[in-house]
Amino acid sequence: MILEALEREGVEYIFGYPGGANLPIYQHLHEHPKLKHILVRHEQGAAHMADGYARACGKPGVVFATSGPGALNLVTGLATAYMDSVPMIAITGQVASTQVGRDAFQETDVIGATSSVTKHSYLVTNIAQLPRVIHEAFHIATTGRPGPVLIDICKDVQQADAERITPERLEIPGYQLNGHVDLDRAREAAQALAGAARPVILAGHGVLLSRAEPELRAFAEKAGAPVGTTLLGIGAFPVNHPLSLHMTGFMGTGWNLKAVQNADVLMMVGMRVDDRVTARLADFAPKVKTFIHIDIDSSEMGKNVRPHIELVADARNALEAMTPHVGALHEDRGLWLAQIDAWREEHPLKYTHSNGKLQPQDVLIDMYRRCRNEAIVVADVGQNQIWAALWWNYDRPGMFLNSGGSGTMGFALPAAIGAKFGRPDKAVWCVAGEGGFVMTAQELSVAVEHQLDVKIVLLNNFSLGMVRQFQDDFYGGVRSQSDLTHMPDFVKLSDAYGMPAIRVDRLEEIAPALDAAEKTRGPFLIDFRIDPEANVYPIVPLGKSLNDFWEAPN
Amino acid sequence: MIETTPPQAIAARPAPGSPEDLAVRVRVLSVLVDDGSNTLSKVSGLIRRRGFHVRSISVGPSRQPGRSRMTLTIDAGHAETDQVRKQLERLVEVIEIEDVTGQLVHSRELVVAKVTSSEVAGLVSRGAKVLDSGPDGTTVEFAGEGKDVGDFIDELLNHGVLDVARSGPVVMRRTA
Repeated sequence: MILEALEREGVEYIFGYPGGANLPIYQHLHEHPKLKHILVRHEQGAAHMADGYARACGKPGVVFATSGPGALNLVTGLATAYMDSVPMIAITGQVASTQVGRDAFQETDVIGATSSVTKHSYLVTNIAQLPRVIHEAFHIATTGRPGPVLIDICKDVQQADAERITPERLEIPGYQLNGHVDLDRAREAAQALAGAARPVILAGHGVLLSRAEPELRAFAEKAGAPVGTTLLGIGAFPVNHPLSLHMTGFMGTGWNLKAVQNADVLMMVGMRVDDRVTARLADFAPKVKTFIHIDIDSSEMGKNVRPHIELVADARNALEAMTPHVGALHEDRGLWLAQIDAWREEHPLKYTHSNGKLQPQDVLIDMYRRCRNEAIVVADVGQNQIWAALWWNYDRPGMFLNSGGSGTMGFALPAAIGAKFGRPDKAVWCVAGEGGFVMTAQELSVAVEHQLDVKIVLLNNFSLGMVRQFQDDFYGGVRSQSDLTHMPDFVKLSDAYGMPAIRVDRLEEIAPALDAAEKTRGPFLIDFRIDPEANVYPIVPLGKSLNDFWEAPN
Repeated sequence: MIETTPPQAIAARPAPGSPEDLAVRVRVLSVLVDDGSNTLSKVSGLIRRRGFHVRSISVGPSRQPGRSRMTLTIDAGHAETDQVRKQLERLVEVIEIEDVTGQLVHSRELVVAKVTSSEVAGLVSRGAKVLDSGPDGTTVEFAGEGKDVGDFIDELLNHGVLDVARSGPVVMRRTA
């Protein structure tokens, strides 16, 4: 009955792992050939695969896990999806309803353990609830501000026979969607932005989730307003566009931060305005007279920054409603855009490459030259993530995936595998540091088993690079537990999993290695041994304002 | 070339803990919820997670089957006060919220107390009702606004208090 319901919801892939409390579901899996089950090597991998799948193709990712440890292993993956508003359905087995509360074998209060990292959750103790619950779960996961929904199903319910019940019409009184745009506010917002001397638009993940990139671009061009994106908003606005400010936040580009800190009207679309975007909150965008905030989740209004004009609505609907109201632009607009161009000249992205060591930027620049915007880049967390965000001119949505809110190391490999299942037509590059990579490296088996064209670019700096950089710069230069000695030989490791790999130590080896990766069918790993001292720039020192960003030393 | 205006991020607040601060921070919410097994823990978990603090909570069945009415008195802590309501609204279990802070409402708390004395005329004159009386003492109940209940409990001290049980407030918007 569960599997039938999943078919009805249009599920194609399930990422899962069987165990005692979900065996009744697995017993019937073979009767549903439309559902393709991907056997992972650890449940966390399943959650990240479902996440990567959902981010890449827009459909909700589906995960199976058993009770107790199986379900608990999903928690990090659920939290990652929850922080980044990714639609996901996790179906966990629970001990029999008659056993609940008796500390049965592999019993855990999964609902309790996951309530704070799911959009909603259900404990199903009766077969009659099941069709409604599954239908509701998909609705809740995919609508409004998306997110993971967990369904914990008691083992006896999985075994129960019931007549086929088609789910009743959805009626969820506690779940109201904010789709309606307040047209007066939309006009007010459009006029405020058009009439601003120094407007800036920042776009977040919400723009991608509502597929509002064309509307954003139309609005920005008409309003003559420069657009920056958050880390998760990358792809919402083409980096090569003359109005682009590239990435904002405490590792954003210099010209972006200059623009934000000098703007008089700041419009924030589909974003949470978190501490990584604002740096020191009291000094965030200090010259702004009018903050405009557009988000589908009303609780984001004033959570961190109190907007003067708020639009609780889907980003696409809001932008569409605003564009016609853009009237005459402020007379100083030309000056403002010229000023931004000057800042772009003055504070370009740069890196050190005079020391003869392999620089991560060299690798990414060569990758970008080959792939342009035809490949999906899935980054892990840390320096590799920021390098992959900044040194690639993303021009469309869904091409850069990463764990932004939760910052989950170990995300990249399983998410890249999930992304490849979701978008088999696209090349998928997994960019990771060696620290995060080994956290979920067991999922290489999945890539090999399914001969997935996932190319792994390891930016191996023999350390936890971001931790090391923070320790050097902000923690008195004390390098504590950030050196990664005794890591595996990654070429041999790949070989053990049955996939090809090469090691690269020098600049001139980059191109041949990437050639080999592109030519090889199936997974391929390149262990790029980069400069261990390579740092991320620009960076705002911890606790400082966006004005205080540091740039790469000359 | 660029003029400056003061920062407009989070507005300045009165001194933490001051009466002005508490007047803003503490909200009374009347919340209609689904009567599920997970509802109370979802609501309380959310309050903890967001750094809010529960001053009082009372729950009882509502007129609608399968739904309960919660009356929550919540301190928003370091968060913006409207966050309490907005975050609760995100829960699927929460159907309706009314912020009744400082509104024209009737607010009632119930206290049931056991005193050693059988001379409880002073309590009865304040509006207490005698529930039972025996050789070991008298059980009385009293309902009223929070301040009246506090005064009533002070008065109990003169009657040899054995035990006191006190509810949180329940509120109802005034008819007129």
